[in-house]
Amino acid sequence: MTDLSVLLIAIFLPVFPLSIGFNALFSRIRQPSLRAVMLLGWPLIGISLYRLLEPQVPGWLVPAALATAVFYGFRSLSMREVGIWTGFIATSIWACLWLPLVYGDRDVILYVAWFGVPLAILALLVGGLEKRYGAAYSELYGGLAQTIPRFSGIFVVTLLAIMATPVFPAFFGMLSILVASKPAVAFTLASLWVLWSWAGMRLIQGMIVGNAPDDVIEDTPLALTWGFAALMLVMIIAGFALTEEF
Amino acid sequence: MNSLIVLVPGLPVLSAILTHLLAPRAGRGVARISVGFALLTFLSAGALLVLAVMGEPNQAVSLDRDWGIILFDPLSSLMALVISGISLIVHLYSVRYMAEETGYARFFVMLDFMTAALLLMVAAGDLITLLISWHIIGVMLYFLLGQDTQSQTAYRYGLWTFITYRIGDIPLVLAAVVLFHAYGTWSLPVIFEQLGANPDAETFFGLPVAEAVGALVAMAAFARSAQFLLHIWLPYTMEGPTPVSALMHAGIVNSGGFLINRFAPLYIHTGDVLHWVFVVGLFTAVIGSVLMLSQNDVKKSLGYSTMGQMGFMIMECGVGAFSLAIFHLIAHGLFKGTMFLSAGGVIGEARRDDGVPKDDLYTFVVEREAPKVQQPLLVMVGITLVIPILVLVLTHWWVAPDLYQRQGAIILLFFGWVTGAQLLFSTYHMKAANPWRLLGLILFSFVVVVVGYTLISHAFDQFLYNDHEFASQLYRAAGIDIVWFDTLVVLTTIIVVLGWVRAYRVEKLGSHIDQKPSHWWMNFYSLIAREFYIIDFYSGLSRRLLAASARLNVWLRWG
Repeated sequence: MTDLSVLLIAIFLPVFPLSIGFNALFSRIRQPSLRAVMLLGWPLIGISLYRLLEPQVPGWLVPAALATAVFYGFRSLSMREVGIWTGFIATSIWACLWLPLVYGDRDVILYVAWFGVPLAILALLVGGLEKRYGAAYSELYGGLAQTIPRFSGIFVVTLLAIMATPVFPAFFGMLSILVASKPAVAFTLASLWVLWSWAGMRLIQGMIVGNAPDDVIEDTPLALTWGFAALMLVMIIAGFALTEEF
Repeated sequence: MNSLIVLVPGLPVLSAILTHLLAPRAGRGVARISVGFALLTFLSAGALLVLAVMGEPNQAVSLDRDWGIILFDPLSSLMALVISGISLIVHLYSVRYMAEETGYARFFVMLDFMTAALLLMVAAGDLITLLISWHIIGVMLYFLLGQDTQSQTAYRYGLWTFITYRIGDIPLVLAAVVLFHAYGTWSLPVIFEQLGANPDAETFFGLPVAEAVGALVAMAAFARSAQFLLHIWLPYTMEGPTPVSALMHAGIVNSGGFLINRFAPLYIHTGDVLHWVFVVGLFTAVIGSVLMLSQNDVKKSLGYSTMGQMGFMIMECGVGAFSLAIFHLIAHGLFKGTMFLSAGGVIGEARRDDGVPKDDLYTFVVEREAPKVQQPLLVMVGITLVIPILVLVLTHWWVAPDLYQRQGAIILLFFGWVTGAQLLFSTYHMKAANPWRLLGLILFSFVVVVVGYTLISHAFDQFLYNDHEFASQLYRAAGIDIVWFDTLVVLTTIIVVLGWVRAYRVEKLGSHIDQKPSHWWMNFYSLIAREFYIIDFYSGLSRRLLAASARLNVWLRWG
């Protein structure tokens, strides 16, 4: 019989259908900063519970977690509301955290930082879009690259970081999970990675491409853009530094 | 020396950063920084190649870990010069070509990053560095193709390219995983050394490491080099700026041939993989050429032409002629890059004056006018069949007398013979005042091309794989059972000769046969006209997937 503690952890390292709780809650929270905190904190609760309860992980769990990751990755392909999209991709990523936990990887917390920070930034960007346009919706207004170029730059770089593009640290995170996996799991993970890329690029296209609307919209301040660039640089350097054991 | 090795991929990165930082102050003049750095990179790569030619031993510069290794060897130095050279030309061309476009500085920043990624790829001495550069190339290409952020079409086709590249990344990632599992290191030289010491090592499911990784690497190369079924992105990505098309057709698409060459020490231990590489390459070469001929859109025709050439390059790897594939990719890159970059000038010229000389070639190719007096057919057949084979055999015997021991060389000679024979036989149809003079000129050109090609490819062989035994092992790995080989050669010869006989019958009997295209022929024609319905299939598949995803979201709207 499945240990109940596994089911409890599966709420925070979401496995379908328990993942519904996270997504329902996430879509109801409208405050961007709260969403950002939730994106960083939710998986940390799961990891802490795992370490505290040390449950016996049943054999079905890893396939179920992978299926959840693929399922939400697939759903994110057509999701146009950027906030909900963030929740779906986060679910897909956090479900994958079961793998390093089961493999006994001591650095699981780092994966949360590598994926979670860009996800949290995206949640804040969604807030910025809602403030400017009233909604953060792909293919609704488009042309952001011309209207608010600095914001678009941040948006694109954040999405690339979420999609585990090199040289962002999530890339090394994906590689280390892949290396520890058996062929079938590695193949699924590699395919999932493509799915994230597809979903991410569709979102980029829906937001930044197209003719700019005539309205004058305020762009992100230069200082904030530099702050973002510095944060990304720190993450990249940290990512490099932490790959010494590779 | 070490600084120079790091400088080659490092300079474009520095250029990109400076270009971005100085763009607000320097305005359009910022392109000068990028061009200056491109020139410096080219000079540094040239210095590296000179050192390699002078016999400087292979070296590697690495971070203080198992990855982050940059290699200096003949292959990396040669490819670095080619890439930096093409990049420099593209930079120079873009200074004026892109002047009217928005995002001028951004274009140069991305061009620099792309150059850096390509240079890093050819110098990668470990699997992680290779994966990083391989992945970044796909991302950079997507944004370069989408330089015009207003163009939905450019982004749509850019996405096709990106997704194909990402699909091609899967086998390369899996190959890296298999190699790391087998040898516990990311370093390519160490992996190849261990593989050489134990070529029969096994991996998951009891599969031989060499065979499994060889197949995975080949699949990654197929996606990058637009092999059949993974080729759609190439002819359809013409919406991007012309300099990007030039860079793509001259450099990026060649990555597949390079990748197979980089893993050459692995392929000498494989059995069947190279045969499949040959089959895929051959199929792509034929399909690409057929589709090229059937296009009425010049740009798409160029795209399919590149596909055919990439098929030929992969086929060369499949017969063990690895260094020849490198020569081919460089020659094709320079040729195709020139075509793209001169396209605008040619169009401009043609608008003023078509300038087409009404000479023998024009009347033959465009007006299809047959000569009134033709030479005796049998004499022409004799000349056209014998002379090419004599030229090819003598030239190859001159550079390497033992070449005929290699099946791969025989196959390439066979292709050379068919091409040469068809070229010479075309004089039979051409309207010329002095057909023998024309034949002599064609023959002279053929000899020059064959001698040049043979000498240069031999020089490439000596430079890239100067270990004669290693090169022979590559040919042996690509070889097949001699009975099968002879049967296939005879069979192919029969098919080619039958084709010639049919061409002769059509020529002789003229309008008496095949007045009306047969039903079979019309079906075949529609198949080609619709590009084998592959685009329809992929578009339909992606539409269905997106619709299914949307339906799921409606059903599960609560979370």
